[in-house]
Amino acid sequence: MLGLFLLTIRELRARKVVMGLFVVSTFIWVGLALALQLDVVDGSLAGARLFGQETIEEPFDPSAPMTDSEGNPIRDSDGNVRMQSDQLEFGSTLLEEVVFGAQAFVSGAAYWIGIILALFATGGLVAALTERGQVDVILTKPLSRTQVLSGRLLAVMAVMLALSTYLFGTVWLTMSIKSGIWNPRFLLAIGVVFGMFAVVYGVVTLVGVWSGSGPLSMVVTLGVLFMSLILAIPELANQIRLPWRHLVEGGYHALPKFAAVGSQIVPQLATGNAVVSLYPLASSLAFGAACYGLAFVIFARKDF
Amino acid sequence: MSDLALSTVRLSKTYGGRRPVEALKPLDLEITAGETFGLLGPNGAGKTTLVKLLLGLISPTSGSATLLGRDIAQSEARRPVGFLPEGHRFPPFLTGRQALDLFARMSGLDPGRRASRSEVLLARVRLAEAADRRVGTYSKGMLQRLGIAQALMHEPRLVFLDEPTDGVDPVGRREIRVLIEQLRDEGVTVFLNSHLLSEVERVCTRVAILKNGRMVRQGTVEDLTIQGRAWHITTTPLPPAVVDPLADALGEPTERPDGLTRRTLTLPDRATLNDALDALRSAGVEVEAVEPVRQSLEDLFVEVVEDDATA
Repeated sequence: MLGLFLLTIRELRARKVVMGLFVVSTFIWVGLALALQLDVVDGSLAGARLFGQETIEEPFDPSAPMTDSEGNPIRDSDGNVRMQSDQLEFGSTLLEEVVFGAQAFVSGAAYWIGIILALFATGGLVAALTERGQVDVILTKPLSRTQVLSGRLLAVMAVMLALSTYLFGTVWLTMSIKSGIWNPRFLLAIGVVFGMFAVVYGVVTLVGVWSGSGPLSMVVTLGVLFMSLILAIPELANQIRLPWRHLVEGGYHALPKFAAVGSQIVPQLATGNAVVSLYPLASSLAFGAACYGLAFVIFARKDF
Repeated sequence: MSDLALSTVRLSKTYGGRRPVEALKPLDLEITAGETFGLLGPNGAGKTTLVKLLLGLISPTSGSATLLGRDIAQSEARRPVGFLPEGHRFPPFLTGRQALDLFARMSGLDPGRRASRSEVLLARVRLAEAADRRVGTYSKGMLQRLGIAQALMHEPRLVFLDEPTDGVDPVGRREIRVLIEQLRDEGVTVFLNSHLLSEVERVCTRVAILKNGRMVRQGTVEDLTIQGRAWHITTTPLPPAVVDPLADALGEPTERPDGLTRRTLTLPDRATLNDALDALRSAGVEVEAVEPVRQSLEDLFVEVVEDDATA
């Protein structure tokens, strides 16, 4: 199995997209390290510069009221004075806002864009394993088919775990060292992003093993992602008549909750807030496990 | 321990679908360890299906088979087996040496053995100088030779070679033939699947011919190519008194420079042949040689295929 693991690693290295993802990750944390300058005084943010430009031009006091250009307090629709802390989306202080905001941005980008890029980088590998001429040589070695497919998948997962750990780890270290705010919960996002990649890759694996077509496995996988996003639209089910409503609701629960995990779990971890429900992640993992199980059964029984 | 390298019992394969195709009808086959066995047959005869069944690439519809005494259903049955598939494709980004190392690792060879075996085999297949070049830059012949090296890396006791001379130039073909003969001398069982009948005829000790998923001939090359009822006889010139009674059986004479004549004698059986030889000797004819008429393996193959086609 180690032989197939190493073969897959070499194949990923030969596909320069994976190397490109590592390079992009490096640009992100090096960019953060060089471009963002935080002036922290007594645990508070006294100033921040991005690419040398001041981003905070006046002292920020969360307990002070927000004022307009003439110095009058700004009120909300109920007539209450809005405080400067109301502008904070991610943290309770301006420093936390900057740190958590950056971490939320990186984790969000890694989740929504990184997973798609990683799929394009690795999507054809399972189908390539079943190509005539290569599968003949590999399957006639003294390896069980479970070992063959496992070797392939473990290599893909190892590289993707390394990639996400590298990106999240370096960004976390960079922001923590610069700000003095250490938010270890951000690192949990590694597991979530990697877990959702693994779930989606289950579809790639299932279709790749079944059809032997790399392009088809990518099309189906992107289709599943698209469907899961459609089904996640709030109130969609309520606008559909029975019995189709049950179908939409069933589809939502059966498919991976890509949108829910991306909007309810990943940002919470990045900002250090509590995750309300792990159901979207757990049900997505169950979907992925079912895909892998089915893929292994098909691969074990398939005639090549 | 069994001295059978390969054994099948009623092994068959039917591909499903709307119109099921019986690719291999129940087949009983035994190959003794150390044999060089040639499998022949026209396209679609079931040759590839048989090889794939034996190597676990497809599952049988019925029957069973063993490789070196182990059931083919066990992955361990393939440990002492080497395989060169037709149209194999090695990852183009690997060098020849890396490819050998990786596939030998999958066969369970330890690092030291992998390094020494790859050196020996790269030299043996004339790829030592190209060993550190990427496989993607190899010619068809080089790829084929690398494939053979890959099949032999773990010193298998049974080797399946599917069209080993495909895309190889005449010099390379001869080298592969010599390699197969060396394997035979080393006691390795070779299962050769080839369209080049002259190659098979030269190196194989036994052949089988498949047609429409059924084995229609099986035996040694010598036995299969012998023309059952015809002999070449070389004698002193035959007197008319001898020729007349055998007129229907004797072919046209070929005069030799040494004064002897060579004719083809076609008779119902060996007993009749001996009666005819007795008659010749009684008439004072001296017999220099009697040899059975043989056909080439190619002639036999065409005859078998056409027989079946007209049957």
